[in-house]
Amino acid sequence: MSSQEMLRWINEQFKGTNQLTEKTLDYENKYIVLFYVKSMIDKALLQKIIIKPFFEMANEHQLRSYLLALPQFQKVESKEQLLFEITNGYTLVVIQDDLFLFDLKLSKNDQVNTTTVETTIHGSQLALSDNLLTNINVIRSTYHEPSLVTEFFTKGGANKQKVAMIYDKEKVNKDVLNIIRKRLQSVDKQVISATTQLNNFLNNKRFSLFPQMIMTERPDRIIYNIAGGKVILLEDGNPQSLAAPVVFFDFMTTMEDNYHTLLVSIFLKTLRYVGLFISLLLPGLYVGVTSYSPEVFRTELALTVAGSRIGVPFSSFVEVLFMLFFMELLLEASIRLPKVVSATATTVGGLILGTAVTEASLSSNIMVIIVSAVAISTFVIPVNEMAFSIRIVRFLLLVIASLFGLAGLALGLFVLIMYLVSISSFGEPYLRFYNFQKQKERTEEHI
Amino acid sequence: MSRFYYYLILVNMVSNIIASVPVILLYFHKEGAISSMILSVVVGTIIITVYTRFFNNFPGMTLPELLQKTTAKWFYNPFIFLLGILWFIAGMITLITFSFLLIRYLTPETPITQISLVLTISVIFGCLMKTNRVLYTIEIILILTFPLIFYIYLAAYSSKNLRWDFVKDAVLYFNQLPSFYAFSASFFLFLGVANMFIFNRFFTIKQKFGLKQIVFIMVTSTFALSTTYFIPIGFNGFEHIKDFIYPWISTSDSIRMKYFIIERVLFIFLLFYLGIAFLSILIHWHVSIEFFKFVFHLEKIKWKGVKIGIFLPLPFFIGISTYFVKRLDEYQLVRLSGIFYNSLSILFPLMIILFLFIKRRMKYAKNNEQN
Amino acid sequence: MQKTTNKTRVFILLILSMLTLLSGCEFKDIDKVTFISMIGIDQSDNSDKPFKVTVKLYVPTSSFKQSPKPQYAYLTENGETLSEAIRLLETHSDKKLDFGHAKLVIIGEELLKANKEKEILDLLIRRPDIQLISWVAIGRPNAEEIIKMVPKSETAAYPAIFNYFDDNGTESPYSVSTFLFDFRRRMVESGIDAILPIIEMEQEESQFKINKAYILADGKKPHELSSHNTMLYNLLSMNIDIGDLIVNEEGHSFIAKIDTIKSKYKVKVQNDNQVRLDLDIKLFGYVSESKQSMQTKSLPKYNQLLEAEAKKSITDFFTEMLEAGYDPLGFGLKYKATTLPNQRMSMEEWQDAYKNAEINLNITSGLKSTGTIQ
Repeated sequence: MSSQEMLRWINEQFKGTNQLTEKTLDYENKYIVLFYVKSMIDKALLQKIIIKPFFEMANEHQLRSYLLALPQFQKVESKEQLLFEITNGYTLVVIQDDLFLFDLKLSKNDQVNTTTVETTIHGSQLALSDNLLTNINVIRSTYHEPSLVTEFFTKGGANKQKVAMIYDKEKVNKDVLNIIRKRLQSVDKQVISATTQLNNFLNNKRFSLFPQMIMTERPDRIIYNIAGGKVILLEDGNPQSLAAPVVFFDFMTTMEDNYHTLLVSIFLKTLRYVGLFISLLLPGLYVGVTSYSPEVFRTELALTVAGSRIGVPFSSFVEVLFMLFFMELLLEASIRLPKVVSATATTVGGLILGTAVTEASLSSNIMVIIVSAVAISTFVIPVNEMAFSIRIVRFLLLVIASLFGLAGLALGLFVLIMYLVSISSFGEPYLRFYNFQKQKERTEEHI
Repeated sequence: MSRFYYYLILVNMVSNIIASVPVILLYFHKEGAISSMILSVVVGTIIITVYTRFFNNFPGMTLPELLQKTTAKWFYNPFIFLLGILWFIAGMITLITFSFLLIRYLTPETPITQISLVLTISVIFGCLMKTNRVLYTIEIILILTFPLIFYIYLAAYSSKNLRWDFVKDAVLYFNQLPSFYAFSASFFLFLGVANMFIFNRFFTIKQKFGLKQIVFIMVTSTFALSTTYFIPIGFNGFEHIKDFIYPWISTSDSIRMKYFIIERVLFIFLLFYLGIAFLSILIHWHVSIEFFKFVFHLEKIKWKGVKIGIFLPLPFFIGISTYFVKRLDEYQLVRLSGIFYNSLSILFPLMIILFLFIKRRMKYAKNNEQN
Repeated sequence: MQKTTNKTRVFILLILSMLTLLSGCEFKDIDKVTFISMIGIDQSDNSDKPFKVTVKLYVPTSSFKQSPKPQYAYLTENGETLSEAIRLLETHSDKKLDFGHAKLVIIGEELLKANKEKEILDLLIRRPDIQLISWVAIGRPNAEEIIKMVPKSETAAYPAIFNYFDDNGTESPYSVSTFLFDFRRRMVESGIDAILPIIEMEQEESQFKINKAYILADGKKPHELSSHNTMLYNLLSMNIDIGDLIVNEEGHSFIAKIDTIKSKYKVKVQNDNQVRLDLDIKLFGYVSESKQSMQTKSLPKYNQLLEAEAKKSITDFFTEMLEAGYDPLGFGLKYKATTLPNQRMSMEEWQDAYKNAEINLNITSGLKSTGTIQ
């Protein structure tokens, strides 16, 4: 296909819109034509590196050599690529019959954000930006290994976003890499607007309770994951990245664990796991003890519970459900509301749930304590996605405890553990203990 | 050895308490329980050593695979079917015993069918998992439950209500001739190693199994066995210890945690031993299902293109165990377990002959391959 | 693989919903349950229904801070057997009676004299919901009155009487505490006899008095221990490390507070079934009260006095025990624990031998101080 035909085709594609700008420069027997989308390009840069030199060059030959030497230069391979790049902010330069592309894209979103989701006290306070190239730049500049590989995909039938897959080719698990690549290629959706959407698209199951990939906005976490052999997915226009494969313990670690001294981090980790178990089991425990086996707890405690339940019109199960439900509502409400209003919401909610409910004896004092303990310990789980899953599992365990008592609750916990062990994240077991001293204990998997 | 190997052995050693082992042992408290225990430690350690060494020779190979290579079809199919049934019964006994415990002590008003169904259903899907996942589950649940169980042991040993004079009295009956029932009951503690028939699939690398490991297993088993036998005696006396139907439950109810949120150790014991029972059933039924899979080629059975084969044993497992939970009473359960332990203690030492045979055949096969 | 797990999950959901329909009737809220705090068993006046069971029920209040005074309810019923009485009790209550929290079983003195303790023991052990770590005691004059008395010092949720038995409260050297399982093993095993504390009341002060004990042995009348002997039993059995010994000799009169006791007992069998009990006792403590002023340098002398006094008291105690043939310290068991079964004498022979046993008492006392003053 000649360049003339290509130009005609391009013009046809943009026909009817006034997007494409065509500019002809003709001076002292030099003649070039520029095509670009005005809103996408950096006009100052265009003026500086193309228009100004044009008027200074002695002849067309010199101009051509100059343009070829520019770092922004890119070869034209097909008309589709040409079209795609022009819509992406490239400038097309036509000299005689030759077509050159120049990357003069203007990005307004390449500023790195400060961390908002995974805030820490120690460590970097900077997160990723919305710009893919900036993000890759951030990663590259903190991970200096030649083995770091970046692969690009274009996903989304309608919005054609760029997705980058980053990994260390020496450390990555090849099987996992192949699975992810295969699944990524088979993703067929019209609009992909957030990286986290990929979490669902790459996971072949319709109902999956636990996240199969971990979302992070922290460059240090990304680096840590790459060094650990994980694959990172980034999407243009998104300040979040995904790492895969994951194990359950990833969701219970914060980057800060590495920054604290050993004892402090052991203490914090213990705190977190205790919190996890409290938030999972406490509501079920309350129902199981009050309604099935009141003789389990020591007498004083049993009496306190029995006393505080006097006059409560619901059975323990409904009581717990009622309070948990309002707690969840409060949680949801405070996320969605604008910051100015959310403080009011928590005050009102806290007041109503905390005091008024017991005053009206719609719920026992102990229940209020349990619900707040559950809420607090849910916040201790460091990764948000896992906290969401835990909230659902908690309800399941509550139902089981209401049906089968304490033994049911214990069995439910064991089944949960078994379920976590049985599922895989991209071929890796989701939950298992690793013996770090003997990493090559046996050559893993696929039995 | 890999730590997972020890888990298999440990679960059997710890879980015996809730099975009928202590009842049978204490029944023979004046008729040779001690000497049977000593004998079983010796025989048990030998069995463990032989079994482990044998499977160590064939890393990653299960018993059915070995039999398929070395013996005729008319032999290995019925034989493995028999093994599958044995393992199913082993799991079922734990299931029934624990259902009885729960209904007696924790939820006396729940129907027994419901208790056993909940237990069965929560375990049964785990039995279909891959072998390595079963082992990972064992590890995690053991790590969660074992510390507290060990604490209960320690609390029992350090309790001032444990009267050592009763224990000494019991020890003095060492000079009685061993009884077969008591021997087989205590021998059951050592049979965790038999799960290697299937779980050897996981151990694909040749493991080290030397004197150190043998001594370790011997010490642990002696500790487990003497805890099983002597602690109930120390708490409840010697002469009439036979009277108890659940000696260990009564024992755990005799321990008090004065300052803890739960005062009666009984409940902690029940809830945490539920984990051990869960694991015990999981291991046994996993092995059982693997055996059945092998005999009936379950993976190949399809219905409308869906592989339903591996689900086929499940209704049988659920149905049969539910039937027996309703059918058996406590006495029959102890009788059944006694007979079961007896048959195991005949069968498993005999299995060594089979191993020798397999080993020779495998050598031939190897030589032939090389030529 | 993916398909099967989905199927699995659907199946689990199905089963779960089926089970939901199955269950439902055993769900019982804690406020529909009444907890029994203690059980009293007495002999009734009605000869057709000889057992009278009284239970003390906790009445929960919504806040213990607002009403710190304890509240209880009581139920009493007669029955031909114990379980009949209990069954009748249950018909009296609108809520389910829960025996799981009963921490104390009081047996009326009269029942004890009628030798009904074995029957009672059988029921208490057989019921799975009664704790084996509940205390057993004798009520004087009867269990009902003891149960119905609430001392002034009592706070809600924890009856004051428990403090006597629990090591948390008073560590009185005069009160014995016996758990139910301990009571059982001492009753059924030969070679050791059961001992139960006696609870008495001081009506006008509304206080309990627990400083005596009963020894129960098979086929014998229960034997009452005086408070002094109860304390000696406690010291000798090393249940409690503290005790007071009053020394009143050679013009010296002081009270030795024992805070540590170490004792070793041995049973030696000589020829023709002659038994010798070797008792090696070490007492440590200080002087807590004295009529005269004391000299630190003469501590060795005080020790000698204490030894003499202890020897006298303990010998008296053992003479009393041996004569009547009671064995609360378990020498018979000790004998069994050191002799091979085929070389043992029969239990009857042992009883005789025990009655005629020779006591070889060896006491070392170590008073370390005369208290804060000389």
